Amino acid sequence: MKTPKQKKYGLVVVLGLMIILTGWNAYSEKGGVAQTIKNAKSPFDNGSVASVPPAPVDTVLAQVRYQGGSFRVETRKDKMTRFQCSQCHNKQPVAVANAVETAHGDITLIHGDKDKELACFTCHAKDNRDVLVTEKGINVDMDHSYQLCGQCHFRQKKDWIGGAHGKRVSWWAGDRVVKNCASCHDPHAPRFEKRWPKTYSRPFTE
Amino acid sequence: MTQKSSVRQLFGFMTDVARWSLSGGIGYQLFLCLLVVFMMLGVFAYLVQWKLGLTVTHMSDIVSWGFYIANFTFLVGVAAAAVMLILPSYIFKDEHFHHVVIIGEVVAVGALIMSMTFVFVDLGRPLQGWHILPIIGLFNWPSSLLTWDILVLNVYLVLNLSIPAYILYCHYNQREPDPRKYRPFVFISIFWAFGIHLITAFLYEGLPARPFWNNPLMGPRFLASAFAAGPALITVLLAIIHNATTFKIPKQTFNKLRLIIVISAIINLIMLFSEVFKEFYFPTHHSLSAEYLYFGLDGHNSLVPWIWTAVSINIVGTLLLAFNPGKNRPMVLLPACVLLFIGIWIEKGIGLIVPGLVPSPLGEVVSYAPSWVEISIALGVLALGMFVVTILLKPALIIEQRFETNNETV
Amino acid sequence: MGFLKNKSCRQQITDEHRSCQDAGRRAFLKKAVKAAAIGSTAVVAGCQAPGLLGSKEEMALQFQEYFKAHYRLMTEKERDATIIRLERLAKLQKGVDVQISSKGALPGVLYGYGFNVTRCEGYMECVSACARENNLDRKSNTQYIRIFEMEPGQMAPNAGNGKFFNEVPVDGRFYMGAQCNHCDNAPCIKACPTKATYREPDGIVVVDYDWCIGCRYCMAACPYYGRRFNWNEPVVPANEITRKQHYLGNRQRRRGQMEKCTFCVQRTREGRLPACAEACPTGARIFGNLLDPNSEIRFVLENKKVFRWKEELGTDPKFWYFID
Repeated sequence: MKTPKQKKYGLVVVLGLMIILTGWNAYSEKGGVAQTIKNAKSPFDNGSVASVPPAPVDTVLAQVRYQGGSFRVETRKDKMTRFQCSQCHNKQPVAVANAVETAHGDITLIHGDKDKELACFTCHAKDNRDVLVTEKGINVDMDHSYQLCGQCHFRQKKDWIGGAHGKRVSWWAGDRVVKNCASCHDPHAPRFEKRWPKTYSRPFTE
Repeated sequence: MTQKSSVRQLFGFMTDVARWSLSGGIGYQLFLCLLVVFMMLGVFAYLVQWKLGLTVTHMSDIVSWGFYIANFTFLVGVAAAAVMLILPSYIFKDEHFHHVVIIGEVVAVGALIMSMTFVFVDLGRPLQGWHILPIIGLFNWPSSLLTWDILVLNVYLVLNLSIPAYILYCHYNQREPDPRKYRPFVFISIFWAFGIHLITAFLYEGLPARPFWNNPLMGPRFLASAFAAGPALITVLLAIIHNATTFKIPKQTFNKLRLIIVISAIINLIMLFSEVFKEFYFPTHHSLSAEYLYFGLDGHNSLVPWIWTAVSINIVGTLLLAFNPGKNRPMVLLPACVLLFIGIWIEKGIGLIVPGLVPSPLGEVVSYAPSWVEISIALGVLALGMFVVTILLKPALIIEQRFETNNETV
Repeated sequence: MGFLKNKSCRQQITDEHRSCQDAGRRAFLKKAVKAAAIGSTAVVAGCQAPGLLGSKEEMALQFQEYFKAHYRLMTEKERDATIIRLERLAKLQKGVDVQISSKGALPGVLYGYGFNVTRCEGYMECVSACARENNLDRKSNTQYIRIFEMEPGQMAPNAGNGKFFNEVPVDGRFYMGAQCNHCDNAPCIKACPTKATYREPDGIVVVDYDWCIGCRYCMAACPYYGRRFNWNEPVVPANEITRKQHYLGNRQRRRGQMEKCTFCVQRTREGRLPACAEACPTGARIFGNLLDPNSEIRFVLENKKVFRWKEELGTDPKFWYFID
């Protein structure tokens, strides 16, 4: 039979062990999601998700790389109604009365500040209407308009490359396919218009 | 006297109990029939709820717990209050409490059955209730406080059924019960009674999502209000028994009960004041629930008259009992007990559950009032509880009376 | 009665006894009749409850379904068996051919969600897409996602107006959404008494609907209003039912079960974006794998000023808000 003193010491040892173990356990679990993320350093093999189909045909490889390597961008040229521009805009003169209004009258240009509105030739190349042109005179393909838009909207471009801006198409796994700038923003009036919401939340009647 | 075999004795005991509980004067029979009628109303309403779903209640995604859980919370307190009779009777060997301890235990049984029935009718899928059982289902113990609650309530029910059953059986056979057989369980049941109501309080206290509930005073407050409301109910019940039957209860029992009620009620009021101070001295966003309860929020003020009534009659009842203007006259004592009981029922029932859930985590405010289904089922469950108490109490009192008479004449 | 010494008492008691017995018998009979009436009503009414009336095959399937185990404890065979039963039940009850998947969590994946408060314009396309994708009850207009019109000054959904229906975006207002945050330290998981709700290895908090008993404790425990209860039998028109389903996701739920956002488990485990992320016209919703350092959500967490709602509650959610 243990003496009372031995029993007391035994109890103290047991309690001490419990406290130490609890503290150690709590310490090792601290950090939560933030710690899990910090510890996750190896890239995820996007090919491991077998159910993701290959990238759709109407995409091109982006001319920039994101943190995960290369990615694809939705094309624009096959989606624009009046591409190729050079069908009309070639060496021959375009003999149409009130040509600007007739051909491009449906375009409202609301782009830029009130005092510094953009003009057509800010973005469109004068000598080759099939391409866009940067401030420095470098031609930019319509499918890679982000190089142009990114001149002024460099923050959005950086975010778009990383993934905080814009939209990924359909699949979070597999090859990254994102929407082009003009896929969402009308380049002539990029701000989204006001509209009614798709639905509403029913008020709780009580 | 020939010694019957124990099985025959037991059988005789059970048939006698059954006979005594169902037989009686015309008034008694009518009372039982009335209770059965209300129970049938409850069953009918439950069938409606079974058929159409819980949508027939006025609970919603915001007020997801309502009248049923409110009553459950309150009744667990009433059940726990039996300890206030058991403690003096068995530990302090107070004869005045010992005379009526069986009544306290029967009230506890009735209250427990009511509580568990309220939980049952509140479940969305009661048929799948076996999912909660250990071994055949999954029992999320010790994480989920609901599992703790189920465990402690059922053990408490067993304790409160078996200890009185044993004692009554011994008294029926005109012998003293063996203290070694029941005293350990009595000890356990005393601590257990505190446990059941603390755990019920922890159900709410442990939710950080609900700031109205997430305060450490919930547990002690529950105990204080239970030990005021439960003995108040028992006092009224004792008065009824004293007047309607031949089982007489001495004045000292009432006086001592009054003392217990008063102390608990005063502590309850002090705790209420502490809660109100915390909410309203420096109101934060967490105080919106209290504001909704006491003053209304965004035009939703249906609970305001209820809570002020509850607090007022709580205070009036406490003062009447504390200052004892009638010098222990039943005319003063009993209305005060009724006032206290109703006040605590409102404050601990709807006045606790609904404000805890309003405003919702998204800040939305709604009103809640129970639907006819909820009220009918609640009446049915109340009738069930009263029925259980009545049919258990009658044979118990008969046995006790005979035992005491026998001991006196011997 | 031999123990009573007083003879007249004994006589009185015997007389009383006899009248008691008579009264007792009458009362007992009365109660028996009433009990029988109640019992038969219950049986008849119970048979009319939804789900019990139906063809013999339906009843047999539901009988088998009643006894199944918790999804996590099922063997592969049991899972396949229950899926066959559920698909058959869907065919019998709704006349639709559904494919219920039991695909497990993808290895090396922890889902995270980013919500761009600057980009949300209150269009509620996400709310609508979610309701369609997840077969949410049309009768009660259940919505897993709530969008709030906020006045500047507070960046928390509970300070906003959730019941707006006007042209959006309103000048001077911004919009914030709220849905289940899939907490890593979820209070709902701790509260559930049957372990019906639990955290899958890929981080999503799911409900095994058939295991849920409908006690709604999880709903009281959730600080984000992430959970919904089926107060009535959910109503979804047969032609609007999304056919590709997951056992833990958008399959048919019944009355009395809890449900919640599952990050569209039927889509995300196939590598697709959840319906809300795909539907958003402004790209305000970012979804991805938190364990992939190259993912978009990781870019957001590292480069944007993110915050989580009710951080002080310690729930460790995997839903971040940020502003551009």
